[in-house]
Amino acid sequence: MPTTKQYQPLTSGQIDALESNGCLAEDWSRVQVATDFRADRVRRVQFIGDIRLGTFNGLVPNDSGPPKLAGIYDAVLANCTIGDNGRIANIGSHIANYTIRDRVSIEGVGIMETNPGARFGNGIEVQAVNEGGGREVILLNDLSAQLAYLQCLVRWRPTMTHRLATLVKQAAESARKDTGTVGSGARISSVARIVNVEISDAANIQGASALEDGTILSCPEAATFIGPGVVAEHFILAEGATLSDGAIVRQSFVGQGCQIGKQFSAEGSLFFANCEGFHGEACSVFAGPYTVTHHKSTLLIAGLFSFYNAGSGTNQSNHMYKLGPVHEGKLERGCKTGSFSYMMWPCRVGPFSVVLGKHTRTFDTRDFPFSHIEAKSDGRCEMVPGMYLSTVGTVRDGAKWPARDRRRGPVRRDIIDFDVFSPLTVGRMLRGSEILRNLMETTDRSKQFVMIHGAEVRRVLLRTGIKYYRGGIEMYLQERLVSRIEIARRNGMNDLAKSLAIAPDAVFSEEWIDLAGQMMPQSRFDLLADRIESGEIDSIDRLQLELGRIHAAYLEDEWAWVVWAYRKHFGKEIPMMTADDVKAAAESWRDVRTKFLKLILGDANREFDELTRTGFGVNPSSNELTADFTAVRGTFEDNPFVQKIQREIEEIAQRAAAFS
Amino acid sequence: MATVEERVKAVTGQLLGIDPATIKNEDKFTIDLGAESIQSIELVAMFEEEFGIEMEEEAALAVDSIGKAVDFITKVCKDQGVDV
Repeated sequence: MPTTKQYQPLTSGQIDALESNGCLAEDWSRVQVATDFRADRVRRVQFIGDIRLGTFNGLVPNDSGPPKLAGIYDAVLANCTIGDNGRIANIGSHIANYTIRDRVSIEGVGIMETNPGARFGNGIEVQAVNEGGGREVILLNDLSAQLAYLQCLVRWRPTMTHRLATLVKQAAESARKDTGTVGSGARISSVARIVNVEISDAANIQGASALEDGTILSCPEAATFIGPGVVAEHFILAEGATLSDGAIVRQSFVGQGCQIGKQFSAEGSLFFANCEGFHGEACSVFAGPYTVTHHKSTLLIAGLFSFYNAGSGTNQSNHMYKLGPVHEGKLERGCKTGSFSYMMWPCRVGPFSVVLGKHTRTFDTRDFPFSHIEAKSDGRCEMVPGMYLSTVGTVRDGAKWPARDRRRGPVRRDIIDFDVFSPLTVGRMLRGSEILRNLMETTDRSKQFVMIHGAEVRRVLLRTGIKYYRGGIEMYLQERLVSRIEIARRNGMNDLAKSLAIAPDAVFSEEWIDLAGQMMPQSRFDLLADRIESGEIDSIDRLQLELGRIHAAYLEDEWAWVVWAYRKHFGKEIPMMTADDVKAAAESWRDVRTKFLKLILGDANREFDELTRTGFGVNPSSNELTADFTAVRGTFEDNPFVQKIQREIEEIAQRAAAFS
Repeated sequence: MATVEERVKAVTGQLLGIDPATIKNEDKFTIDLGAESIQSIELVAMFEEEFGIEMEEEAALAVDSIGKAVDFITKVCKDQGVDV
């Protein structure tokens, strides 16, 4: 908060004391101090221009040793306000044009200055998703994954894009100042160069090489850390983020709870909540929440990702030496790429799919979520639709993301819907099933493969894919039905018809979209875009409020979709269901869900089979190999995840019985 | 008409690129014949088509050898009224 502290001119006695401490001033009359100022804590300091000093008492915590005396020692300060009880020491060149709040420690810094009109990273245009431009995202302290998505990926509505850009630029312009701030309790040490960087409360900057034109958002609940060797230019770093170990970040946004380090480099990229980037490289990447790349030789380029895990050596290419780096790719939420997988953009991968191998042909599998997509040695792209619906990894992922939300501050900018099964993914299953069914009915049995948008599917797997998707669709729809009634009962609502009714303000769309973590019906999105275009949404705050309202309506909108999908798939009207209908649905759900969980257990069990044991231990006998494996991996029966699934199977039976 | 065993070996050989005559009943799909997890799914689908049956995924994927596959498919055919 801006200080309201009272300052007064130095007395002649204070000037004498300061001079005897080796201090000099361009003009002592421009130096003001707090009423309880202590001159003995200010030594060998040069004051240039307008200076205001607080009081310095007690000790300041020190990360690498005993606490040190508060005060200012060996520094040149130009046009600065210094709060109470902090420590500024051993400044190589100078600190200029900064307001430094209370309890701040700045030690061993070379240059720290703000130049007139600094914008602190706000207003920087990032060439996200398309390295060739055309999808620019303007950086803003308040940037959320959804705001970035709206800026970047809705270019078919130029009026909306233009109006939004105007709002963002206005907001960015308000960040422009001639004086930077270092927030209360911030700690900065051993940094060579800090220029035009706004630093919020409790930020911790230790050993960074150079920070220029940026904002470091931070708060006591979610302190932001910048560590050794970091170079960051034209950036915004959000609360609770970590940037360390030689990371290089240029023209990029690093969102709340992100961890970027171990020599990772990012250029023109956006990382939203809880992303992790180590060792590798990102270029023109829109990394939605939970995008993770941990390994060397991994290049993410010109793509949209979220809930994504990049295997080692994963990379993509975005041009073919033709019209420049203009190709782009989209991996929808929950995808993984295997070690040394490669995709030649443009490609689009449906949600929760796994991509293996070197893909030198483009493909689009958006309608086939949970698929296995593998490049064969002859260059063909083969897909097994729906294969990962019932694998242990998918289920574990669904549970781990909410548990690993590192955002701790009072503000969580990115809206995240974590559901693995949703109108988005189940809607794709419905559409994918129709495509597979049509192909199954029209493809001659002599054909071994069918081609679907660049991906080949073995003909006999068309039926398998339909079977997988049918299981997923039925499990989801019946689960939502059962849950709806359970929740209503818990809330004292025993009127079945009322429990099953669609809320009057719910919005239905067959199509749902994923705004980088937030899922919503297409018509909600269209209305939002209309309101931006019309000017009804006239500020970024208002937009975030509207996105929050849409998020709050998620469950009721989802229910409207479930009612529609239930009719489409089962031919039954949910609002007309009787208690007997619900009982039958609950029993069916019990069977489908139990079967699904048993498939998960079967998949988990393969992690303990004979083949998996191969390679454990060093030349052990058969018995020793088993003992060695068990010592390291445990047993199937003792595995906590397996036990959790087994408990769920028991609970399902009880839940279904409650409908009898 | 070929036996269930001959048809199981023929399908397995076709998918995995192995001479069916060299496949033994005790061969395990993964360790001995080199089937990957994807190929296990493909084998289930191919057996379903070959015999005109539908198999429970969980039970089918738990079958780990040629001989057990022959027994399993014979039983499913019988349960589903398919002559073999």
